[in-house]
Amino acid sequence: MSDLLDKGSAWLEGQRKKHATREVTYRRGMDAVVVKATIGRTLFEQDDGAGVIVRMQVRDYLIDTADLVLASEPTLPAKGDRIEEIDAGQKHTYEVLPLGGEQHWRYSDPYRRTLRIHTKLIETEEV
Amino acid sequence: MATIIQIADAVVAQLNAAAFSQALTATRHYAPSFKLPDMKALHVTVVPRSISSMSLDRNRDTFNYEVDVAVQKKTDGEQATLDALMTLVEEIADHFRVGPLASFPGARCMDVKNSPVFSPEHLDEFRQFTSVLTLTFRLVR
Repeated sequence: MSDLLDKGSAWLEGQRKKHATREVTYRRGMDAVVVKATIGRTLFEQDDGAGVIVRMQVRDYLIDTADLVLASEPTLPAKGDRIEEIDAGQKHTYEVLPLGGEQHWRYSDPYRRTLRIHTKLIETEEV
Repeated sequence: MATIIQIADAVVAQLNAAAFSQALTATRHYAPSFKLPDMKALHVTVVPRSISSMSLDRNRDTFNYEVDVAVQKKTDGEQATLDALMTLVEEIADHFRVGPLASFPGARCMDVKNSPVFSPEHLDEFRQFTSVLTLTFRLVR
């Protein structure tokens, strides 16, 4: 018997990708791929653990696992990878980094179709 | 001006006048707060930390003034980059350990603490090097 939840999840993921994404560039060193990403939660955080406050914008991206292909090889997010997003004439660069007690990424669904990638804004420049 | 502020300013002046393996500009802050995108440049921040005193005789006290010197930079996580920053931290520590404060010679650096030597949390979560030196200056007044 087929897994109805699996089928439902696949349909939902298809709808997300079709109707709730924008193109971003996923980059690791010299390798890059343009993928459709849903922008997840965006927060402003601060850390004062070392006595010096560091303020940052934290953003999650949801990307199809199958779309993350670098140098012709399927891959998973690595700490230090970059996601570039162009918006209103500005290029925002986010770095893949852990968030609080969480790893830098996790699967967003039980069927491992979608990656939820945690990032932090490291650069904004005019394009 | 409060003595600890004068000492902190003397630390800033000395950091900016000295030659280290990396060029730096130190600034004094009360509550340092930086944005992560700005941390690609080396930040050296001086912050007054604490004061303690002990009676020396009827007229004088021995004062210990603690001043923090934070060395911070967003890195690529490469070991060579981190090693170079650790070297800078050691150079700063040695600089104050061996010589008097030029613009406040009455205060002597008696103790240098660097624990932890860097923040593992900042390295993991921001790939940012953060190391805080706590310098203790002794002054009798």
